Amino acid sequence: MSAFDAGPTLDPTRPLIAAGNLRRRRRMDLLMRGVATAAAGVAVAILLIVIVTVAGKGASQLSISFLVKDPSVGIGAVGGGIASAIVGTGLIVALATVMALPVGVLIAIYLTEFSTPRTARPIRLVLDLLNGMPSIVIGVFVYGLLIEGHQQAGWAGSFALSIIMVPLVARATGEMLQLVPRELREASHALGISRWRTIVGIVLPSSLGGILTGTVLAIARAAGETAPLLFTSSIFSNSTTVNIFGTALPNIPYLIFQDSESAFPADHARAWGAALVLIVFILIGNLGARAMLARQRRKIVSL
Amino acid sequence: MSSSAQGGATAPGEQDLRPHFHQELAQLERQALGAIDIVTEQLDRTLDALARQDVELARMVIADDDRLDGRYLEVHQGILSLLARQTPVAGDLRLVAALLHMIMHVERMGDQCVNIAKLIPLSGHEPPVQDDVLALLGRMGALARAAVAQCKTAFAERNLPAAIDLIRQDGEINKLNREIFNAALAAGDDPEAREWGTYMVLAARAIERIADNAVDIGEQVAFVVTGLFQEFSDTYRPAIRTGMQA
Amino acid sequence: MEGSQPETDASTAPPLAALAITSREHTDVTTRDVVFDLRDVDLYYGATMAVSGLNMQVHKNVITAMIGPSGCGKSTVVRTLNRMNDSIPGFRVSGEVLYHDHDVYASGVDPVEVRRRIGMVFQRPNPFPKSIYDNIAWAARLLGLKQNLDERVERALRGAALWDEVKDRLKGSALGLSGGQQQRLCIARAIAIEPDVLLLDEPCSALDPIATALVEELMQDLKKAYTLVIVTHNMQQAARVAERTAFFSLDVSGGKRTGVLVEYDDTEKLFTRPSDKRTEDYVTGRFG
Repeated sequence: MSAFDAGPTLDPTRPLIAAGNLRRRRRMDLLMRGVATAAAGVAVAILLIVIVTVAGKGASQLSISFLVKDPSVGIGAVGGGIASAIVGTGLIVALATVMALPVGVLIAIYLTEFSTPRTARPIRLVLDLLNGMPSIVIGVFVYGLLIEGHQQAGWAGSFALSIIMVPLVARATGEMLQLVPRELREASHALGISRWRTIVGIVLPSSLGGILTGTVLAIARAAGETAPLLFTSSIFSNSTTVNIFGTALPNIPYLIFQDSESAFPADHARAWGAALVLIVFILIGNLGARAMLARQRRKIVSL
Repeated sequence: MSSSAQGGATAPGEQDLRPHFHQELAQLERQALGAIDIVTEQLDRTLDALARQDVELARMVIADDDRLDGRYLEVHQGILSLLARQTPVAGDLRLVAALLHMIMHVERMGDQCVNIAKLIPLSGHEPPVQDDVLALLGRMGALARAAVAQCKTAFAERNLPAAIDLIRQDGEINKLNREIFNAALAAGDDPEAREWGTYMVLAARAIERIADNAVDIGEQVAFVVTGLFQEFSDTYRPAIRTGMQA
Repeated sequence: MEGSQPETDASTAPPLAALAITSREHTDVTTRDVVFDLRDVDLYYGATMAVSGLNMQVHKNVITAMIGPSGCGKSTVVRTLNRMNDSIPGFRVSGEVLYHDHDVYASGVDPVEVRRRIGMVFQRPNPFPKSIYDNIAWAARLLGLKQNLDERVERALRGAALWDEVKDRLKGSALGLSGGQQQRLCIARAIAIEPDVLLLDEPCSALDPIATALVEELMQDLKKAYTLVIVTHNMQQAARVAERTAFFSLDVSGGKRTGVLVEYDDTEKLFTRPSDKRTEDYVTGRFG
């Protein structure tokens, strides 16, 4: 009556070596594995080439003085350090993060916890469009909004960068919030805890690691954006300033651009050095964020 | 195969989710009902031996009681196994409990046959039989045999009216028992005749006990069908009988 | 001697009455206070009626079990009692769900307050990713039960038969406990805030037999202080644990599948002498 009455069709006691169809399948398996490995290798290779090239051209520039001295000023002045650009980038990106982080996290909370499928879809669409918006368009927009009729200022650059960062933070946060299992929220509700307290006390702390990673990745992206700063923070003196609200600040991406257009090889060299600094900063940010995430995950499952 | 009574069968369109268990239960019931067949055979032989005062046949009856004891142990073990492994509930549980009682009553019926069989050689060769007593015993035996057959069909068919009818049959058997008693008393002064008469009274009593056991099996039928347990009233207590019929 | 013997006619076979057998202590739990009173309750998901015509009462300090095949609405009913279905879009209740004579679904009722008094333990243990201590203390603190937190935590863990196993590692992560311990932690977490009722939605499905036995024993203790309602797929568990059992089934007439309450009675009666054939068919495994 049952389909299994007949027993196995092949002798189950025969030796355990691959035969017939199985051999072909194993070869296919090895082939696909080889192709996938090669593709991964290509990706790694490209990254390595970029790093090696930049490092090669810029390593010679690296020195303490390079990092702490401002670019030389004066007519015909060449060389000098990039201290002012480092400080300027740091301040601009920090302010951008302060603007983008709360907004991105709150958008993600709204999408995951409070929205209905009908309201969520247009908002997700908008976030995707914003994410794909060319950064130069954002730059022009901010220029028209904040700079036209006034003067450039670092904070306007931060504002432009934060527009780029918000979709990234929102998406990373949203993914982490969705990973928090529904049962955890239900457990909290079943105890008579309100929704907002549940989000703050249970959902957000569980997602913190991922939110952090997403933020650091967004920072790394923003730190390298040139186009928005072109319109908002490109006219500056080369000395270190912290007046982010009053004036344009020197920044690394624009410095690289400026130096590459210069006639002097010393400036070119400085551009490579600055590029190297930028890459190192991004690498450290990425790896550091992942390490922090791994450590937090281990804390959760340990006793 | 599966009995047609309430709680026993699946209607068309339904699917039995535990066919192996229910087949096992049905098999157990068949074994128990088969024991009634064995005891019916025993009763036939016993009554025959009694009528013809056949000592050889009586000896066979005594020897064959082992068959019944064996069947009793089989069913008993089967019930324990089913309870432990299958956790029967509701109608299935009531059936299992009823089978346990039923097989015990059947085993007692067998013991009563043996009791009768043991009496036959005691009468010795060419005993001073009283024909009227033998005739009464014959009638009593036939009624008892009918009662045993009816308790089997009542159980197998879950037939409640048939089970209740056993009370009436038991009443008639009890009447005959009293008649035999009176007839034996009138045996006269001959000590051998009186001795034989006493043995026949004992035999009649044993037949009466067989009929009582049949009524007890009827009570189990009622329990399986209704889930309620009540002693079917003894005919000597008419008040309860009336109360039951109110 | 016998007078005239009335005939026993098949059609007038008299009904039999049971002997008054008191083989065990049998108290009538339906005389206790009514905690939940469901009157003509229909439950809808959008336009689909999930459960229809529900009338039942749950009594105080009694363990009430809900059994029945999958999809017949048992979990839906239990989650309706503490408004946990609110988050499901399109969910609707008609009829009255009375909890101590208050309609749980009346306008103006705060669902958070409802859940404060009617706690829930779920099928898969879901402790918070916090320490064992914080799992219990966090909610208590938020709900204003700040005094003597240590004592409260210990009492809850003792109540859940977990104290001895974890008293030396209260600050350790709750996720490091075994499944059975996690579920008992969830029970401790629920009783720490002193609810009135505890709803348990298949609490032992994810547990091994020993952990299951521990939780079942625990429920016998818990019922002295709380009212328990348990949904279970395991009939034998309902038989072991509950004083009252409700059997739900599916009504497939009219082309729609709706859950209905078929029989609700003392557990012993339901499992030895069910009144409804559908109940008999389900518990004996002759269900279609």
